[in-house]
Amino acid sequence: MAYTFRGGIHVEEYKNTSHRRIEPMAAPKTVAIPMVQHIGAPATPCVKKGDRVTIGQKIGDVPESALGCPVHSSVSGTVIDIVKKLIPSGASVEHVVIENDKLNELCRDNKPTEKKLTDITTAEIVSLIRNAGISGMGGAAFPTYAKLKSALGRVDKLIINCAECEPFITVNHRLLLEQPTTVINGIKILLKALGIGEAYIGIEDNKPDAIKILEKLTAGSKMISVKVVKTKYPQGDERQLIYALTGREVPNGKLPADVGCVIFNPETCSAIYKAFAFGTPLTSRIVTVDGDCVKRPKNLLVPIGTSFSDLIEFCGGLVKEPKKIVSGGPMMGAAQWDPEMPITKSTSAILVLSEKFGRKSTLPSVCIHCGRCINHCPMHLMPMYIAQFSMQNDIENAEKYGAMSCVECGSCSYNCPGGVEIVQHIRVAKAAIRTEKSRLAALNSQK
Amino acid sequence: MDNNVKNKASASQAETKKKIEMPGFLTVAPSPHIKSHETTSTVMLEVIIALIPAFIWGVYIFGWRALALGILSVGACVIFEALTQKILHRPITVKDFSAAVTGLLLAMNLPVSVPLWMPVIGAFIAIVVVKQLFGGIGKNFLNPALAARVFLFSAWASNMSATSYTAPGNRINSLAWEMAEADIVSSATPLAALKSGVLPQVGITDMVIGNIGGCIGEVSAVLLALGGLYLIIRHIITWHIPVAYIGTVALLTLVFARGDMSSLSFMLYEVFAGGLMIGAFFMATDYSTSPVTPRGRLLFGVGCGVITVMIRYFGSYPEGVSFAILIMNMLVWYIDKATMPRRFGGKANGK
Repeated sequence: MAYTFRGGIHVEEYKNTSHRRIEPMAAPKTVAIPMVQHIGAPATPCVKKGDRVTIGQKIGDVPESALGCPVHSSVSGTVIDIVKKLIPSGASVEHVVIENDKLNELCRDNKPTEKKLTDITTAEIVSLIRNAGISGMGGAAFPTYAKLKSALGRVDKLIINCAECEPFITVNHRLLLEQPTTVINGIKILLKALGIGEAYIGIEDNKPDAIKILEKLTAGSKMISVKVVKTKYPQGDERQLIYALTGREVPNGKLPADVGCVIFNPETCSAIYKAFAFGTPLTSRIVTVDGDCVKRPKNLLVPIGTSFSDLIEFCGGLVKEPKKIVSGGPMMGAAQWDPEMPITKSTSAILVLSEKFGRKSTLPSVCIHCGRCINHCPMHLMPMYIAQFSMQNDIENAEKYGAMSCVECGSCSYNCPGGVEIVQHIRVAKAAIRTEKSRLAALNSQK
Repeated sequence: MDNNVKNKASASQAETKKKIEMPGFLTVAPSPHIKSHETTSTVMLEVIIALIPAFIWGVYIFGWRALALGILSVGACVIFEALTQKILHRPITVKDFSAAVTGLLLAMNLPVSVPLWMPVIGAFIAIVVVKQLFGGIGKNFLNPALAARVFLFSAWASNMSATSYTAPGNRINSLAWEMAEADIVSSATPLAALKSGVLPQVGITDMVIGNIGGCIGEVSAVLLALGGLYLIIRHIITWHIPVAYIGTVALLTLVFARGDMSSLSFMLYEVFAGGLMIGAFFMATDYSTSPVTPRGRLLFGVGCGVITVMIRYFGSYPEGVSFAILIMNMLVWYIDKATMPRRFGGKANGK
């Protein structure tokens, strides 16, 4: 019996790349590395135009006191420019543009930890993770060291989110097949840092080969266990996964640590292990390139800062006219307007989709009150009502109906026969509620 | 030789360059970027598919006039929808087939002997007054087909009431504008008999397969139930409303059975008679006019059941399905509000 939660949807999986080995992609002639690839303060470039940098050299840093991650060069070469450009999320941030000299020279400052896992302290692990510039690689991009620090002493369970419930993406699946020990070792480091003895690997039952490998690797372990969850979207949402594995519900407005759980992505674990064992900071990641417009869909190991169009070209280019280029999965990813966007630490996939994936009807969007969004909402909200309030600018009722609890998984919009962009209306309501709240807070502080 | 290789390389490079040439515009739309195949049109088509067997049965036992009424009703609904939308400068949405569903349901709720103009008046009430004037699909607060039926029922009681229900087997193939009263061979419906406390003359098997008098589409309990089952299996409707509705009627009539017959057979007659099957599976489950939460749907079904039995027992009409559903329709917004699901990670009542 696989673990699961109530609600959610069954989407077409499109896991076309689950049998494609991860191919390392050579760095392109130039990379543009954004200084914001994480949640928190932007990094400040610590190199100048004309400087020579090596792979793994720190090129951007954030002050010790602020929330944020340092940024490292993914190529060796010369800094040719520092410019403000847009990143996939739409913000304008500084990019360090580096011309690749193709020498692939590694930075000598990055050395493996001298200590063994048995005698390294928690503080040392936290600073190791911070210095390696590791932020959540599943998509949210929260600085990993900060998440770990906030969980210290408050949690009893470490959960590794290998659900990978988004269609198309096979990054974690391939990682678990090809480098499972790096993930397991990363989990051991995290367990050591947290000082707890229980880790669950939550994985969807559509990856039997990876489950087998993981079960073999963890067979003797009392601390790490593999928990198979049902293949359903959004099983990889942290709240749903925690509920499925532990039966604990994260209360509204609270975080997983409030119910004693902390949750990490397997690629993040792998990056933590690599930082520990080899001293390498996070400068590359695995990306699924897929979609019906891509000639040869692949999984690529890509240097951070490589542009989307370089990846698409590496996969043989396009076979038909694309309608959308999506950064991330098709359910929650963001459609891009420029194929020259850089890969960041949290870009798990690039999807080039044609017309065929859009809405099937040409009729105007209208709610027919069918209730599908309510039956499928993993947060058990009434999405259609929140969307309706949002359209009428009724912020108060939108909040009353739980707009702020929405995890924006898009199950409602996916299923809506009327073609209403329900989740987008809810996002609008959430933004309005936040604005209103900060306005009220500002008013209060004036008094 | 060298040159050749170089040429080849540059040619292939040019080819790749050409392949990744991006279009001038990329669509930037909110996620999700994939959508299910279900649209309003496919949903409504499924409902039509589910209704067809019971309608064909109606044509089979009541004659070709039933088919003519069906075509008139569907046609009038579709035309009225398009016309109203044209006049009100709204996008024309007859392609969503919702007007066709209303038309079919309306025809199935008429006795075969009604004048041919009647479904057209009904279509006007259903589509123009009840549906479009309240904002179109999803906005109407009454079930259009039922509201039209009740309107016709009040305006032309002699044509619409149970006493003019054609007896089964007396097929009417005439397409006369209005039927002469002498041509209608009517029979007391099972419900009328039950109301006066006597066992109907027809056997229970005839009731189940639909060999009884009644409206065109309401007689075959088994075909309607199969159609409803199809809708549940296809995830068009959920089980809550039909089960709660039929279950409530069954329970109440079993416990408070009337007349001198076994309470079980009284209950079975009550369940299979009249418009309960078509009402529970097809009318009470109409999206716009039924609640959206599982608990709300159960409550709605129970409410419909209680009112139906009340009218059948204490009202002056033998049948109460139409009124029961219309009354409950008006409570949908409140039921939705009162049965807000417990939020994941929240306390009861949507807090």
